[in-house]
Amino acid sequence: MKLTNALGVTAAIAATALALTGCAQSSTSPASTGDAATKTVRVFISGDTNIQNLWEKDLGPAFEKANPGYKVQVTIDLHGEHDAQTLAKLTSSVEQKKSPDFDLVDAGFVPKASTANLLTPVDSTKISAISSVSADVVKAGGTGGIPYRGSSVLLAYDSKSIPTPPKTLDDLLAWIKANPGKFTYNSPKSGGSGSSFVATVLDKYVPADARQKMTTSYAKDLESNWDQGFAELKGLNQYVYQKGVYPNGNQQTLDLLSKGQITMAPVWSDQFTTGVTNGSIPSTIKSVQISNPSFTGGAAYLGIPANTPNMDAAVKLANFVLQPEQQAMIVKDISGYPAIPLNQLPADLQTKFASADPNNLRLPYFDQVGKDLNNQWDQKVPGQ
Amino acid sequence: MALPPIVLIALFIGFPILLALGFSLGFTGGLNHTISVIGQNVHEAQGASPTFGAYGDLFVDRRFLGDLGVTVIVTLVSTTAVVVLATGIGLYLKFRGGVLGKILSGLAVVPLFIPVVIASWAILGFYSADGFLRSVFALAGLEFPVWSFSMVTVIIGSVWTSLPFATLLVTSGLQAVPQAMIDAARDAGASFWRVVTSVVVPMAGVPIIIATTFTAIGILGSFTVPYFTGPNSPNMLGVDMSNYFSAFNQPQQAVVMAFVVFIIASGIAAVYVWANFRSAKESGAV
Repeated sequence: MKLTNALGVTAAIAATALALTGCAQSSTSPASTGDAATKTVRVFISGDTNIQNLWEKDLGPAFEKANPGYKVQVTIDLHGEHDAQTLAKLTSSVEQKKSPDFDLVDAGFVPKASTANLLTPVDSTKISAISSVSADVVKAGGTGGIPYRGSSVLLAYDSKSIPTPPKTLDDLLAWIKANPGKFTYNSPKSGGSGSSFVATVLDKYVPADARQKMTTSYAKDLESNWDQGFAELKGLNQYVYQKGVYPNGNQQTLDLLSKGQITMAPVWSDQFTTGVTNGSIPSTIKSVQISNPSFTGGAAYLGIPANTPNMDAAVKLANFVLQPEQQAMIVKDISGYPAIPLNQLPADLQTKFASADPNNLRLPYFDQVGKDLNNQWDQKVPGQ
Repeated sequence: MALPPIVLIALFIGFPILLALGFSLGFTGGLNHTISVIGQNVHEAQGASPTFGAYGDLFVDRRFLGDLGVTVIVTLVSTTAVVVLATGIGLYLKFRGGVLGKILSGLAVVPLFIPVVIASWAILGFYSADGFLRSVFALAGLEFPVWSFSMVTVIIGSVWTSLPFATLLVTSGLQAVPQAMIDAARDAGASFWRVVTSVVVPMAGVPIIIATTFTAIGILGSFTVPYFTGPNSPNMLGVDMSNYFSAFNQPQQAVVMAFVVFIIASGIAAVYVWANFRSAKESGAV
């Protein structure tokens, strides 16, 4: 009787273990041990299809071509829906000193993972191109973040009804009040374009030295500088779409804009350009950068898990991606901003950034400061 | 031989609940270590005495109290609407039947086969500023209010998604009431309403209560419908939990909210247990 009991328990546990592995996201298993494994880089992307294409069609094949014998495997988590699980998986793998199933990761949580010491620290001795990237950009990514591409937020507007768009933030705020119901931004917690608008309005009242600290560290006491800005945002409630509707996510804002329900909104540069190219955004909608202050923009970071077995290959690939030819692919394919100085790129691509300086983006707040911003906006602005 | 199921429940339900309870009270060691390193605003217990810091954070927060109120109100209103609709459809099927009754009960089940995300988008679009309803009213020169991104669409969406299951339960409960009882009551001169309120509904009481509790618990913890169709603030706790967990990076406060919802749901579940017990007693199993 005892034996049957024990058997039953074992079977049940085995069955659930199997079921659980079934539930887990399908992951690429290490090809094999030995020589072959160390030459395979498993890239994990948490992002949209444009980033997937960038890696699968361009960066990956180019790397394999330039380095015979090496292989790049790309896994995608569309829109980063499983970011929490991926981060948890990374954490547990580092704690248990096991391979995390990926060797290079491009995800929004890279700075956060870096803070929790889950990534291999990098510096210019490991990734040589890092020395040419702006120091603040590198610092914002933490010790393990490798900035490799960037994008910024722009102001999109319907050129049919708005021949001359606002040029400065003050102009924009005045325009919003003069045209009630025609502007909105997505809640900062739900997407970067809305949080950039919020940060930009807050920055109007934040002293420059305080802001500098808030972009590179978790300076919680400096958040008191936001009070005036939040009051200003609260004052906008009655003038935004449907007297205070803030959609969820960058895409929902773009939808409202494309359908003509609003005529102006902050949008991501790359998402906007891609939308115009594939026709989901009408061509009458244009974009422009405002000034004084400008909308924020920032880098996307690569991270190398602290305990990846394929460390050397991952470092090699990260170095490769930061070379001028690969940076040019990022500019051409996803309308991204290069991480390395513009003057290292081919001349024809340099002209593409005539109106914006991709190396001098106004950085977003530090990861944890940004979370507090989400929280405080939620408390102080909508429905107040 | 009850051991394997008990092990399973203890391992996959009981243990995580205990772990979460410990985390909400500030015990950040062991398996809670990683999440407390990543999270912000985490309150840590001093030694063995728990801290109620995270609970305190929330219960002085006007936003949380407002959202708690909204969650309870949406649950009450939607559940009432669902039960009334389901009972109405069930009664129509029982007393009139016919093609219309079949169509009604069939239509009520349709939402079961439409994913909630799709349904939420459709509902949002239907009531939006450029939606179908407003367009039709505009043709007649009338101005219909914009309901998208408001609690009205959340309630409509909640009713929409909960109705099928409630209808199935309530309809089958009502169908099980013996026709002889109804005929006997009618023979004794009872009016239609008298038959409904004194014979049919009481006899189908247990399934109706079970349908009510399932619906209420489902709506209480709903996320998709309020997330897509609701306003930024106030909104339901399901959305808040997700916000606190990821957007605000305050996992401890998110867990506290989960416990608040858990306590309310336990109250509803108690009614469910009572109803089940009563029905078991009626059938002589206890």
